[in-house]
Amino acid sequence: MNMRGQVHFDRIVKMHGNFSALKGIDFTIQPGEFFALLGPSGSGKSTTLRILAGLDMPTSGTVVIDGKDVTALDAKDRDVAMVFQSYALYPHMTVFENIAFPLEMAKVGKAEIEPAVREAARKVKIDHLLDRKPGQLSGGQQQRCALARAIVRKARLFLLDEPLSNLDAKLRLETRIELKKLQRSLGVTAVYVTHDQEEAMTLADRMAVFMEGQIQQIGRPSEVFAKPNSVDVAAFIGSPPMNLIEGRYADGHVEIEGHRLRTSHQIAGSRNVIVGIRPGAMRLEAGGLPATVDLVEDLGDTAVLDLTLGGATLRARVSDGPVPKEGQAVSVTARPEDIHLFDATTRKRL
Amino acid sequence: MAKSLAAEPAGLGRVMSPSGTDYSRALAVRERRFATALLAPAFLALMATTTFPLLYLIWTSVHRMDLAMPFADGFVGFDNYRELLQDSRFWASLAVSLIYTGTTVVLQVVIGLALALLVMGMKRGQGLFRIIAILPVVLSPAVVGMVWRTFMLAPEFGIVDYFAIMAGLGSQNWLGDPTLALVSVVVIHTWQWTPFAFMVLLASLAALPDDIYEAARIDRASAWQRFKRITLPLLRPAIVMVIIMRTMVALTAFAAIFTVTGGGPGTATEILNLYAYRKSFTELSIGYGSALAVALLIVTVLISAVLFAVRRAR
Ligand SMILES: Nc1ncnc2c1ncn2[C@@H]1O[C@H](COP(=O)(O)OP(=O)(O)O)[C@@H](O)[C@H]1O
Ligand SMILES: [Mg+2]
Repeated sequence: MNMRGQVHFDRIVKMHGNFSALKGIDFTIQPGEFFALLGPSGSGKSTTLRILAGLDMPTSGTVVIDGKDVTALDAKDRDVAMVFQSYALYPHMTVFENIAFPLEMAKVGKAEIEPAVREAARKVKIDHLLDRKPGQLSGGQQQRCALARAIVRKARLFLLDEPLSNLDAKLRLETRIELKKLQRSLGVTAVYVTHDQEEAMTLADRMAVFMEGQIQQIGRPSEVFAKPNSVDVAAFIGSPPMNLIEGRYADGHVEIEGHRLRTSHQIAGSRNVIVGIRPGAMRLEAGGLPATVDLVEDLGDTAVLDLTLGGATLRARVSDGPVPKEGQAVSVTARPEDIHLFDATTRKRL
Repeated sequence: MAKSLAAEPAGLGRVMSPSGTDYSRALAVRERRFATALLAPAFLALMATTTFPLLYLIWTSVHRMDLAMPFADGFVGFDNYRELLQDSRFWASLAVSLIYTGTTVVLQVVIGLALALLVMGMKRGQGLFRIIAILPVVLSPAVVGMVWRTFMLAPEFGIVDYFAIMAGLGSQNWLGDPTLALVSVVVIHTWQWTPFAFMVLLASLAALPDDIYEAARIDRASAWQRFKRITLPLLRPAIVMVIIMRTMVALTAFAAIFTVTGGGPGTATEILNLYAYRKSFTELSIGYGSALAVALLIVTVLISAVLFAVRRAR
């Protein structure tokens, strides 16, 4: 397939006055990859995308696209397409004119524009709306128009800033799937900003987890899920989020609220740790930690339990066996390999 | 289905609607009477100051009313209008009016838009610029005329003449030469009123969303293409509105020209308004002057009708 669309960020810093929005961002995206920038709101994802697009200049650092330093190049000379969170459609133009605009700007001939616009509109299923103005479209249709405008010119990079965040839940799910298919069929490099970890997990080939202007971890979604490298990443990825409890490690066991669980980690000596267990990895089995069921959220095929264990609150997701009642005393445990350990002071993975 | 929908809010409707009960109907009538009473003085004042003088103007325009020869006064039908169509000075003044209006309005819009774009691009000092810009607008046109005549255009001493001499053009008779005098009054009007166009267009520009300009940059539009394809079309309603308002004012301009040139030299800067004034109050032919004023009114109405049609088109 096409080998265009390689991106390299080298020590990118962005200051707003004294506030550093980005504190040194490094990553490389391979051609054809679907790369997600994931992180809580305000963590610097949009800033990163805008610097990649050429809409903003970094304070320092270099942006390289396809081996060429483009740091000083304006957006209009970078050959990238972008879908804005606000869609940013031209309000005075029809859908057709909106989609045709990037082609006209590239001096594509009239005869080629018409079929290209229809093709792009057909791909996102708005070919029946070409004569409408953006103001006459629903949110979902506007979003598709913005998508069509971005895919029509076959740019080397396809940038999306929270494109689904203004859609309702059902439409968001549908569009998510279509988006993935679209990217696959186009074979284009996509950089996708989202604060929704589920979106990143399902869409991305790889993702970068942002926190406070820094990348905490880069990897395939399954890797990041399986081995979060800090407490913050662990708390951010997964739904419901990972249980994180203070405890103490000593020779192959962790001690939580005075009770011991076996772990497969082997660390020299004993130390204070933060113990992480995913709700889905919690098992209701005898011989574990004694807890009380506070609340049961029955989701049909699974149930999420809120448990109290001494001073700590834990959540467990159970999908088989009898669901305990509220107020009932249970014993919870986890397999040794499902126990994550983080250093209590550095909060990094051990 | 529809019935049940209609039936449901009926209880609410009885309380709210003025026609629900006798009591509320009486209340509505009383309220309407009160509103009429409140409005009446303003309405009468408006009638007395606009409609009545207009009717009186039309009435005098079909009379001969000559303060110099009162014995010849009387109803003359459309004689004044017939004379007007033969009057080369009328046609000349109409031409001056159209040139004056056309050039000043175009200049105001073009310069106002250019300034607005410039100021939008400024990182700081926008507020200061707005305050400076508003100054000419708040001056009385008569004062503006006097200032230009004495400080700016006076031969040898005026600032403009000084610069002309510095530039090697030599001292010019700015208000004595027919062409220069017309240029001068156009420049004065433009100087005074461009800030108005500037401020309206700046406000409209500031209201345009940033994100579509970023989208256009991503779509590889150059600065000129962004201006032509995005800014201009989105600013069009504001531009047309400015054109309409400024055209109305320019067609009926008076004070500045009156104080600067008085319509001269000869009739070089005599706009239709000024000709009607001179006819009525210098030559004292009130009947004919009124016919000229009615002609100006007709021209103004016709032009505004065209402009409003343009505004409505798309
Ligand atoms: N123009 C600006 N001036 C000052 N601060 C800004 C500006 N743009 C963004 N920021 C700050 O930079 C941080 C990162 O913003 P952003 O990249 O938009 O976050 P997000 O991850 O939600 O997309 C935020 O704290 C935001 O307040
Ligand atoms: Mg953002």
